[in-house]
Amino acid sequence: MRLTSFQLFTILLVADAIALIAGIGIGSSGVNFNFLESPLSEKIILDYRLPRTLLSMIVGAGLAAAGCSLQALFRNPLADPYILGVSSGASVGAAFVILFGIASTINIMLSAFFFAIVTCWVVYRIGKTETGIPVYTLLLAGVAMAAFLSGVTSLLIYISALDIYKVVFWIMGGFWTANWLKVQAVSIPILASSLYLILSSWNLNAILIGEEHAMSVGIDVEAFKKRVIAATALLTSAAVSVSGVIGFVGLITPHSMRLIAGENNRILLPASLLAGAAFMPFVDLISRTATTGEIPVGIITAMLGAPFFLYLLRRSKVAA
Amino acid sequence: MLLEVKGLRVSLGSSEILKNVSFKVEKGEVVGLLGPNGSGKSTLLRTIFGVLKPLGGVVYFNGKNLAELERKDVAKLLGYLPQEASDTGLKVKEVVMLGRTPYIHGISFKEGDLTAVREALRLVGLSDFEERRFFELSGGEKQKVMLARVFAQHTDVLLLDEPTAHLDISSQLEIMGLIRSRVREGCSALLAIHDINLASAYCDRLLLIKRGEIFAAGKPEEVITRENIREVYGADVEVRRIGGNILVIPSRKRESEKEKWVHVICGGGSGTELIRELWLHGYKVSAGVLNALDSDWFAASEIGEVIDEQPFSEISDDAFVKNLEFIEKADIVILSNLTVGKGNLRNLEAALYAAKLGKLLVVEEEEFEKRNFAGSEAAEIYNEISSSVPQSKVFKKSHELIKSLRTSS
Repeated sequence: MRLTSFQLFTILLVADAIALIAGIGIGSSGVNFNFLESPLSEKIILDYRLPRTLLSMIVGAGLAAAGCSLQALFRNPLADPYILGVSSGASVGAAFVILFGIASTINIMLSAFFFAIVTCWVVYRIGKTETGIPVYTLLLAGVAMAAFLSGVTSLLIYISALDIYKVVFWIMGGFWTANWLKVQAVSIPILASSLYLILSSWNLNAILIGEEHAMSVGIDVEAFKKRVIAATALLTSAAVSVSGVIGFVGLITPHSMRLIAGENNRILLPASLLAGAAFMPFVDLISRTATTGEIPVGIITAMLGAPFFLYLLRRSKVAA
Repeated sequence: MLLEVKGLRVSLGSSEILKNVSFKVEKGEVVGLLGPNGSGKSTLLRTIFGVLKPLGGVVYFNGKNLAELERKDVAKLLGYLPQEASDTGLKVKEVVMLGRTPYIHGISFKEGDLTAVREALRLVGLSDFEERRFFELSGGEKQKVMLARVFAQHTDVLLLDEPTAHLDISSQLEIMGLIRSRVREGCSALLAIHDINLASAYCDRLLLIKRGEIFAAGKPEEVITRENIREVYGADVEVRRIGGNILVIPSRKRESEKEKWVHVICGGGSGTELIRELWLHGYKVSAGVLNALDSDWFAASEIGEVIDEQPFSEISDDAFVKNLEFIEKADIVILSNLTVGKGNLRNLEAALYAAKLGKLLVVEEEEFEKRNFAGSEAAEIYNEISSSVPQSKVFKKSHELIKSLRTSS
């Protein structure tokens, strides 16, 4: 089955709309699509469900766009938004604040963001050489940094004793602390970075056939790599700072879209972004309604996402 | 001139890859860069395009210093094609469209870009491949797609790094033909290439590079000489000219000084196989007397010394005497299964002379009567030859003769 881009984008936009409406209408207090029938439901919807759904859409869109861009930039199907050490950096940041007992929503957010962005910068400095940024040194620097920082996180968790569950829950990722402040804080960096990535999608195509080929069609590859790395680092750090470490979305969404939409980033990148914006609130909906409590979203993305991805992979193999 | 390279010096790490390289490429020229692995061909192309920064030297395009231009603007003047392309799931038309990158503002294409892509695909004969995925194509098709990508870039100069590497012969010829026809339409090409024969056939000029310096430059026939190849590649080859083409072939190993000289009396194609086989097995080969343009003459003149005569004329006294001299000097003389007429009757006399000297071997695939168009005179001579050559020296087939020759020596 091959869809035209118009059909694909129509389906994705409809999916986004359904995800938004479902996210607002369904919750632990029941199904209610008559949004403004009483002051209580108005409060639930405006102060709780709406910011939570919007936040999950923005984060899902951003992670998917960042994953897609980095897969193209590194020409590596295993690249995901956390490849530069963002997740481990952010975890250390969050754990620190929790350990020192100053864990307000805003403090965790700022600390996680700060640690994440600093980690990216360090990885970038280590990975870079005089002549450019070789992909493999950067990836290896990211892996080594992540290993080191997860050691630090484990240490902090170990020390924090009573607050262990807070740190672990934070790392597992979720949107239960969503509020309008978070939506406001991250929407600009995430949406601006995503927009930049979409505008760069053509250059990402050129990188696909090799960096030297990209240079040969007039792209300043090293400068371009720097900008894409900066944009994804900003985007991912912002996303992690409000939602914790939500895995798989950034890896699986672009891959799923690739199987449907092909390799061309001019279509693939916006399609991944829209798909991430539909997938994330859908998963969050499950996480807050499946049981009487909350299941961290990261658990569900992994448990739902991986089998779905395997299904797509299997099917495309049969088709080929 | 279109492209001028002046005093280019490039270092990678601590080693100097290019030392003071200067040359020019004129409009409508195909210039080939030849040289052994690591001599600096790719480095030169990469430096001209600006992927590498030179330590010194300048590249001018129509008098403009390319180092002062933006990458994007250089890409509008020079179409650089690196050697290897990663496999990608992009469609063919999307890969070719990448050639339009320097002309795109923002993210939207213009109608002109689509036209350029279609035209480029048509030029390389892949119009039907637009929707195919790049990684599904064969090596030759991929290379044609990459060429279409450079063509779509609409540049005046093509810089191609081994465009025919890893391709089969038909794809090699196709690719070189496409480059030539593009140049005929008014651009120029500078290409690194490994295959000396291919380079000589398709390039107007060659630059032979030795360890980062231009060792020789000029027309293929000036550059490709036995001495230059030995000097630059350290390889012993023979250089032959065939119908305006240059052919470099491995020099056969001369095992020792006791190499035998075999003289072949043939004509009309009866000796071609013999001559070739003898040469391959390391004998020194001569042939005569042959009319120029006879098929045996072509075979023999490629390989060894030939006593020749004007086309379609009888053997002259001079040629006959020279033939006898060769027979005297040669270790072995072979009379091929030749057809005899008035014109070459004297070759039979020469063979008889060889038979008397005890040097003659005879190939007799058919009875002589069937090959004799010179009457009883020829028959008499042939009978005399037959009676003075022992039966063990008469063979039914050329290869049997060669076999016996090799086992006896």
